[in-house]
Order: sequence, then structure tokens, then C-alpha cells
Amino acid sequence: MKTRFVWILVFIGPALAAMFIFLIIPIFASFLLSVTDFNVFSLTDWSRANYVGIDNFRDLLSDPLFWRSLLNTVYCLVVAMPLTVMISLGIAMLINRERTLFKGLFRVIYFLPFVTNTVAIAVVWGWILNMHYGLLNWFLGLFGISGPNWLGDPTFAMPSIIMLVVWKAIGYNMILFMAGLQNIPDFLYEAAELDGASSWQKFIHITLPMLRPTMLFVTTMMIIGYLQLFEEPYMLTGGGPLNSTLSVVLYLYRQGFRFFELGYASAIAVALFLIIITITLVRMRLTRHSY
Amino acid sequence: MKRLAIVVLICTILLLSAAVGATTIRIWAMGEEAKSLHIIAEKFMEENPGVKIEVQAIPWAGAYDKLLTGIAAGQLPDIAQMGTTWMAPFGAMGAFEEVSGYVERSEIVDPEKFFEGSWQTAVTEAGILGIPWYVDVRVMYYRSDLLEEVGYDSAPQTWDELYDAGTKLTARGPQQAGISLLFTGTFANEFMPFAWQNDASILDEEGNITVTAPEFIEAIEYYSQLFWDDIALKAGGELIHDFGTGAVPIFFSGPWMVRMIQNQLPQIEGKWGIALMPASESHTSFVGGSNWVIFRASRNKEMAWKFVEFMSTPDIQLEWYRIVSSLPAVVDAWDFPELADDPVISVFGEQLTESRATPNIPQWGQIEQAISRRVEEAIFGTKSPEKAAQDLHNDIERVLRRQK
Amino acid sequence: MIERRSIFKEVAVHGALIVGALAMIIPFVWMVSTSFKLPKEIFVFPPTWIPSEPTIKNYVDLFRNLDFARPFLNTVIVSGSITFLSVLFSSMAGYAFAKFRFRGRDALFMLILATIMVPGQMTIIPVFLMLRHLGLINTYSGLIIPAMVSAFNVFFMRQFIITIPDDLLEAAKMDGAREGFLYFKIILPLSGPALSTIAIFTFTGSWNSFLWPLIIAQDERMYTLPVAISVLAGQYGENIAIQMAGSCIVIAPILVFFIFAQRYFIKGISLTGMKF
Repeated sequence: MKTRFVWILVFIGPALAAMFIFLIIPIFASFLLSVTDFNVFSLTDWSRANYVGIDNFRDLLSDPLFWRSLLNTVYCLVVAMPLTVMISLGIAMLINRERTLFKGLFRVIYFLPFVTNTVAIAVVWGWILNMHYGLLNWFLGLFGISGPNWLGDPTFAMPSIIMLVVWKAIGYNMILFMAGLQNIPDFLYEAAELDGASSWQKFIHITLPMLRPTMLFVTTMMIIGYLQLFEEPYMLTGGGPLNSTLSVVLYLYRQGFRFFELGYASAIAVALFLIIITITLVRMRLTRHSY
Repeated sequence: MKRLAIVVLICTILLLSAAVGATTIRIWAMGEEAKSLHIIAEKFMEENPGVKIEVQAIPWAGAYDKLLTGIAAGQLPDIAQMGTTWMAPFGAMGAFEEVSGYVERSEIVDPEKFFEGSWQTAVTEAGILGIPWYVDVRVMYYRSDLLEEVGYDSAPQTWDELYDAGTKLTARGPQQAGISLLFTGTFANEFMPFAWQNDASILDEEGNITVTAPEFIEAIEYYSQLFWDDIALKAGGELIHDFGTGAVPIFFSGPWMVRMIQNQLPQIEGKWGIALMPASESHTSFVGGSNWVIFRASRNKEMAWKFVEFMSTPDIQLEWYRIVSSLPAVVDAWDFPELADDPVISVFGEQLTESRATPNIPQWGQIEQAISRRVEEAIFGTKSPEKAAQDLHNDIERVLRRQK
Repeated sequence: MIERRSIFKEVAVHGALIVGALAMIIPFVWMVSTSFKLPKEIFVFPPTWIPSEPTIKNYVDLFRNLDFARPFLNTVIVSGSITFLSVLFSSMAGYAFAKFRFRGRDALFMLILATIMVPGQMTIIPVFLMLRHLGLINTYSGLIIPAMVSAFNVFFMRQFIITIPDDLLEAAKMDGAREGFLYFKIILPLSGPALSTIAIFTFTGSWNSFLWPLIIAQDERMYTLPVAISVLAGQYGENIAIQMAGSCIVIAPILVFFIFAQRYFIKGISLTGMKF
């Protein structure tokens, strides 16, 4: 049975109208720029921008920095996503247990990184990761490990960024997982217990399948979010050293907002969009088949 | 007759409303110092009744993006404070008023009255787009006590001395370095003085790229050598802290550091000093700071210009120095004993006479990024200085070709 | 025997949680502790967790140089409105996308989903131009309306509401209930955790938001808290202690909000006997 049009209008109308004006139209407008040479001279005089066809995309394919940034970004995704899922799901489950004490307190503490102002916390992290005076290397030193030059060494810079990314994402994803766990009815566990299931069996056969919608949501958002990695390298490393932390969006930002090559930046945005949508669709397809 | 009466009436009304209705000048200024600008603005308003100055303080963190969106949408104030390295890119967008006509008529503003390097920051291909307000110039900060221990009674004055002192300071023990230098991010402002000191440059007067000249390669090599020999560390330190403990006894920075050291490191009072940049052929340093620009869309350009003139008088420049201790861009202001007789501040005055600004072309942002990238590759040893210079040449060529 | 094993397990679980919590809290503790330090103590190593000469000077400086009331009020108004409107409209749209039947529904939903995949940086200039044409620059509406648009929230609410059984809605429809009634009487009450989740995310995001409020404000009276504080934070990050004090002031209200909002998670929904 179709829903009456007036109800559709009432329920979707406000969100959709605002979305068209402030999201969809601006995105289309910016995508259009990708086939122009819109740059510093065109900003106040649009007539100076010319149609250049696929030139920007051709330049992009032969731009080593773009490929570098893509590689870095995928590296971050591949490492950070499993880490975030495991840690935040683990914590959500531990806090969610009936017998866990101080649930509220733990929830607040794990949520802290997410509410903390990024600029300020980047300063703190820069200090924690400092080679000589940083807390991290001091801590490693207690175990006789001589810590690396975290942000100054091309090998360790991206892992440092990933550390910050995961640290910030845990609280956020923990909440999503907790909301998901709340939706699993207790009787399922009770029934399994009567059948003598172990904790691990309950996790595999009840928790994970029941969390499927949450898991799909969380991982999809993570793919989208991590592929748009920007703030952490922007604040901590500026993309260095040796471009080892240059992410796609950071490169886009640099081209568009520092060099005013808005045409080229738009081409990067379109390319990134296509990459994200492909990976997301593959991810969704995988889910459909694996259960 | 009747028509004439109407015209007269309209003219009178217009004149009256202009006289009665206050002119409002809106200013965008940056950071903490913008919070103090109202003190000076009040003086101006006293001298110019009927004018109202409204200052909007913009945090440095978002200033660049705010200007960009403002210019794109034509949503701008009358005047803005503009970082000197921002003049060319925003100037190229055509948002700033070309002020050479005002300068010619002015009795206060005259190119001769400003430090040359500073005045050059306001001049682009499109003409004179701004007037210098205050300057920042980089000098050498050093720990006199520690240098004395390794046999230097005064600051190292040449490249050779700097290298020698750095080596000896590094040899003091583990975790001890000689000099703090940037090696990643955008650090062209830190590197370029070394090129200039060696008589090298990015572009010659005809606009040819000159980064493969032996002088330029030598500068890359010297800069990188300091890292290769661990005199400078490839680790982002806490500059102030490292200077306090003596782990890094030499660094190059602007005037703001003076106050920071005084405030945060009272324990090393009397054990540090500042000196001119080290010389190869010259002691050339980087000059930056802020200029005033008037936006083309302003409806009160005459009054806006008057304010800029007011800010350029030596008295007001001195007054501003007293309030926020930023250095006057007007040469005459340096004759006041407060500046001339101050042993620390006068070094900046001297360095200002030997200082340059980076090229004022809209593509500078990209070139600066390329310089940083290639020098970084030399520092990390992934490329030889010659190869880095060659790649830099190609980068710059591409940038200049692309944005034509 | 069982008793001892379970005690051991509880110790292990709580031990793990505490270790994790320490990792979460240490940067934050350092931030708070630094905000009470004098400049000379900031870089002391090894770090002092409790300032040797605690000072409230940094806070006093901030409060004295900052007309605190106005930006605070602005932030409350703006973040509160954004959160309320976003939660309302997203849950409505989420409900429609989950349960209504109409042509083009899935295509429209995919379009919305796709917008999340475009980096937000790209839309800054077009959105600003849009706001200017609508005359919304330097207004509360300009601060609120673009920020209340959230494809994420619509997506999230749709994913959640889709798990509410159709039977429940059909049964009510049989009794003659309309969509509006269903939304208020069934959808909203059952969406507690989801609503509080997006409320927290939206509130946190808009409370901390820096770039947009700065771009839209044409005079300082429209500044929000993060913008007003960052003006004082300094060009060269010179006063880290003040910066940290500023961040603490910004964060404190969100923590209060979170502590209040998280009670709604605990309640959850006990929909025993429902299929998912």
C-alpha cells in the first residue's frame, strides 16, 4: 500500500529541502568545477574559468603526490578500521555486562576523546609523541624499549596518526555498539545458557549476528570517514615527513584552499568520491553473501 | 526653477546626511593583537569625529579560509590586516584596492619611509596592494653560556662558525643538539634565508628559474648537512623547553620569541642573546609581518586610507609597539630611544636592513610547498642536493606553466 | 570453585577496562593539569601531573579578556537548536525512508547516502554563496540551518527504525491511526537509544564547530565559544596553558550534557519478544 503523498511531504520535506539547498546542489556545483581550470584568477571573476574537459583527471593520474596520498589513506583505513572495531566493540561489551561496576564512569571516560577539541588535543598528542620528552617513549623506556621518533620518521608517522585516529574514534563507535547491544533481547542469551553455550559461542552465534545492522553501519561509516582522513595529519604533521602522512583530503585541501586550484581540487574530490562509493558498495555486497 | 529647487534640496539632504550619519569603517584583524587594536582605534575616532571603527578579531587558525570565502562571495569589510605572505594569492584574486594613487598624494605614506624588504611585500604584479603595518624578522637566538663552554665568546657569525659551533655543541653528549631547524611541513621561510645568504634565489629578474645554480645547491647541501651530522635533529621538539634545558642552544625565529623566553624561562635570564643571521655572502634574513589592505568593494575608501595613514605615523607605530611589542615597519619609529637603545630590540632593527621577502607571486604557495618537499628529500637523503634542485626546477616550471 | 573463577574474571575485566580508561584519560588529564600551570612549568620533564604552584591565572585571563556571556549564550542557542531540529527532521525522514512506500524512495535515499562520501571541504564556498543569496550571513539562522542538515543522522535513523517490526505499525493502522500518530506514539518512544545517540553526536559536533561559525559571523557578537576562545589562543600557539584552559571551558558543558543524556542509553528498550 502506498503512503499518501501529503505524509511523504510532511515527513521528508523539511530534511530534503534543506539537504538540497545546502548539500546536494553545492556538491553538484563543485563537481562541475572538475572539468574547468577554475583557479585563483577565477574566484572573483567566474568568466575567467575555462572548460578543459578531462584534463584535470589526466593530470591527476600522472600526479605522483595524488597516488602517494591515496596509498597513505588506504593504509590508514586498512589498519585503523579493524583496530577500531575490535577495541570499541570489546569495550562496549565489557561495559554492557551486568556485573561491571561503575558503568557510567567508564562510559564517560571512554567518550572523553570524542568531545575534546581537536586543536587542543593535537597539541597534547604532539607532546606525548615527542621523541625525547614524550610520555609514550618514557613509558616504553620503562620496559627497556627505546621508542622511535614518532612524528619525525616516515615509517612511524602514519602509525602515530592512526593511533590518534583510533583513540578518538573509540568512544564514538563504542556508543553505536552499545546502542546495538541494547537491542539484543536478553532471552536469546538466556536460552543459549540453558543449552550450555560458552561465552565465546554466545558471542559468535548471538552477539555478532544480532549486531549485523550496527556492524554494517559502523564499518560503512568508518570506510567513508577514514578515507576522508584530514584533521589529524593537518594538525599533527601537515602531511610530512616525506609526504608519508599526506592524505587525499589533505592534498585536496592544499590544492583548493592553499593554491586555489579549485578545478583540480574538484577533480580530486570526484575521484575520491568514486573510490569511496566503490569500496562501500563492495563492502555491502560482501555482507549480503557472508551471512 | 522648480526642478532646480528639487536638485538643490536633494543635494542638501545628501550633504547633511553625509555629515550627520557616522561613517563606519569595518576592520578585520587577526588574533590576540586585534583585541588591543581598539585602543588605537579610539584615538583615531577622537581625531575624526563622525567616524566609527569596528574591529572584528579573527583567530589566526581560520583566518585564511575566512578571507577566501569572504572574497569568493564578496562579503568583506573595508580594511583588513594581511599576513605579508598572503598578499600575492589574495591580491591575484583582485579583491584589494590598488593604492599607488593614494600613496602619491599622501604626505605620510612614502615608500622611502618603510624598510625596503617590508615595502616589497606590499608590491605585486598588480601594483601596490597594501601598506606595511608591522614587521617580523628572523634572527639567531643562542645560549651565550653554552656557547662559551665550547669556546665562543659571541654568537657564530658565519656559516663555518655556525657549523663548527653546532658540531661542538652536539658533541656535549647524547640528546644534545646544536641547532633547531625545521625539516618537514612547509618550512620554506626557514630555508630561504640560507639560500639568500649564499646569493642564491628562486627566480632572477627576468623570471628565469635559478634553483639549479651552484649557490642554491650549496645552500641545500649546507642546510641538509646540519641534519646529516645530527647537529639539527629530525624531531619536532618543544623549542622553548629545549632552549631552556640547553638541549638545543641555537634557533632562528622572530621577535615574538623574546617575550616567550622572558615569560617562560626566567631561569636562563642573562644566559641567552640574539644576533644577526649567520653569513655566507650576507646575513640576509626573512622579513614578514602584516600589511593593511583596503578592499576594492569598500564604500569608504577615503576614510579607510586615512586610517591606514594614521597607523603609519611614527608616533602611532611606537604606541603600537608599546601595546603589543610588534616591531614598527616605519624606519623613523626606530629612532625613538625605546627601540634604539634596547640591546635586544636594536638587533632586529639591524637585521631589518639586511632582510628579504619571498617572491610576491600568486603561485608562491605551490613553489613554497615544492621547495619544502625537495629540501626535505635532501635532508632525508632520498635525493642528492643536485637531484633535489633539479626536481625543484621541474616543479617550479610546471607550476608557472599551469597557472598562466 | 566457580566463585573464585568468577572473581578472577571480574578482576580481569575491570583491570582491562581500567587500563583502557587510563589510555583514554591521560591526554585529557594532562590538558586539565596544564591549564592550571604557570608558563614556566609547562615543559618541565618528567611532567608534573599536579601543578607545583597551581594557578587559576589562565582562567582569570580568559574570563577577563573575553566577554564570556555572549559567546556562551550563542553556542547554547545554536547547538541546542541544531540538535533539536536535526533530531526531529532526521527521525521523521528516517521513519519515512524506513517505513513509507513510494516511488523513488530508495534512489532518493542513495542520493542522500552518497553525499556523505563527498569531503565537506568542497562545499564550503558554494554553501557560503548560497547563504549570502538567502541573506542568512551573520544570523542565527545562518549558523543553524546549514548545520542541521545531516545525511548521517537520516541514514542512522533509517537503519534503526527499519528494525522496528512492521506488525506493530500495521496493528495500529488497523485501529485507524495515521502516520503522524504512529510517529509520535510508536516510532519515537521506541527509538530512545538512537535518538540520544544522534543527539549526543550532533550536539558535540556543533558545540565544537569552529570554521563555520567563524566564516558566517560578520561581527564578534555572533561568535561562538570555540571561535571567541581561539582569538585569544595566540598566533604562535605561544600560550599553551591558556589554550588548554580554553579547551576545558569548551568541553565542560558537553560533559554535563553527555552525563545527562547517557541515562537514556541505559534505559534502552526492552522489546522482549520482538523479531529483528
